[in-house]
Amino acid sequence: MTADDTAPADDTALADMAGALAAATGDDSLLSAGITATTRLEGDLYLDSLDVAALGAVLRDRFGTTVDLAGYVAGLDIDQIIALTVGDIAAYVDRCLQ
Amino acid sequence: MSRFLVVTLPLTGHAYRAVAVADELGARGHEVAWCGPKTYFRPLLGPDATLFPTGTRLLRDQAEHGIAALKSLWERYVVPIARFMLPAVNRAVLEYQPDMVVVDQHALAGALAAHRHGLPWATLVTEAMELTRPLAALPRVEAWVRAQVAALCREADVTDADFDPLFSPHLVIAFTTSALTGEQRFPGHFALVGPAMLEPPGDFAWDLLDAARRKVLITVGTLATGLAGDFYQRAAAAVAPLRTTVQAIIAGPPGSLPDPPDNVLAVPSVPMLALLPRLDGVVSHGGMNTVSEALAHGVPLVLAPIRHDQPVVAAQVVRAGAGIRVPFHRVSPGQLREALVSILDEPSYRRAAIRIGDSFAAAGGAPAAAERLEQAVRTALLEPVWKPRSAAASTPMVPSVPPSKAMCPIRACRWHHRCRQNRGRY
Repeated sequence: MTADDTAPADDTALADMAGALAAATGDDSLLSAGITATTRLEGDLYLDSLDVAALGAVLRDRFGTTVDLAGYVAGLDIDQIIALTVGDIAAYVDRCLQ
Repeated sequence: MSRFLVVTLPLTGHAYRAVAVADELGARGHEVAWCGPKTYFRPLLGPDATLFPTGTRLLRDQAEHGIAALKSLWERYVVPIARFMLPAVNRAVLEYQPDMVVVDQHALAGALAAHRHGLPWATLVTEAMELTRPLAALPRVEAWVRAQVAALCREADVTDADFDPLFSPHLVIAFTTSALTGEQRFPGHFALVGPAMLEPPGDFAWDLLDAARRKVLITVGTLATGLAGDFYQRAAAAVAPLRTTVQAIIAGPPGSLPDPPDNVLAVPSVPMLALLPRLDGVVSHGGMNTVSEALAHGVPLVLAPIRHDQPVVAAQVVRAGAGIRVPFHRVSPGQLREALVSILDEPSYRRAAIRIGDSFAAAGGAPAAAERLEQAVRTALLEPVWKPRSAAASTPMVPSVPPSKAMCPIRACRWHHRCRQNRGRY
């Protein structure tokens, strides 16, 4: 189950996401961790709410103030948050930029 | 003299706080009885304690991280254990006839039973998951938790819209202070008393401690044993290069660190309160017990939160300046070493920890909790849990005795109108 039914993100978008995740967590190993669209933020990357807040700040800095990750996550229900993937975030950012 | 029935959970972080408060109540001449699984509470309380057993129930493992862990905490632990305990707690209330029920925030059966019998009850807040509403940023997750609680209340035949088993309307005792919770304001019946500390029995080879080196305790608590091994390996690797300046005590299950470096003492457990005055730093998963005991002794922390309220506790400590947070699953030995050296070398961390410790001391701990419980019993005698609506304009200081009071088997159940147990009789 994913939060959105959008198509999987392309490689550039995934690389952008891996970069943003590395910047948010200060963990450069995420750049070479083989992150895919189906990598779960919580179940696979062990991110918690503080990491997600940091990721939100990085995405806003890089893609502009229309990207409101906290607002996006606040709209998700409990199972959607558990299942939230890197692809979901990439798709959300993509929608914000259109 | 009053009688208190304590309903808590068979978990160290919850039960030990209640024992510390109950000991203080006992020292003040009150009677305390307990309701919980005998296999856990009898060894903890000793042969003389009054214990109403609930039986023991094995519950399924919980998820290990994040919101998935929160979901399984409610679905697989808090709600099922409340359902399981409720009949025994109801019986204990009837048999013991307490003046007040003292309920751990996550031992919902205690709140439900007290409410059903019209007894005043107090909440013991032993974790950081509810008090400051850390889930407010995830409204649909918070709503999901409320829905689990509401469903349990309905199942227990408690339908009052304003009843919240997580927060007593009479007294809420939280084992923290505003030095950690921040500037948030709480209602007058909330008492932030700081930690109520209790030393479990334990031995330690004191002569192995080296006075010339700084000493650090590394522990990820009593719940996370499945995840601990790998973290302890990385922690040992983190402190090994500091051998001339730092001695580490790693408290973990036997075998979790088969070949420790020579500046690491691997022990199964430590007498925390006796050890803390000799420590310079603590590396912890962020359990409320370990963290508040360390801060009470002015010891700064490196926190690697795993799940539940631990990220919340870690965030509070970081915000107060008394520690550094690192990612439990990902932190490398080098990063862990860097964080550890920071809390040991930069005096701001210890200063902040001392500041929080001072706020704990001022808040009063278990004696302050006992005093608030005494006050709450006195208040409940004067102001009944249930007030007749027609008397709202001129509530008498001492309410008149209901005509059928003599029929109610519960001594403190003066306002039996709410008491389902006896509803049919009046």
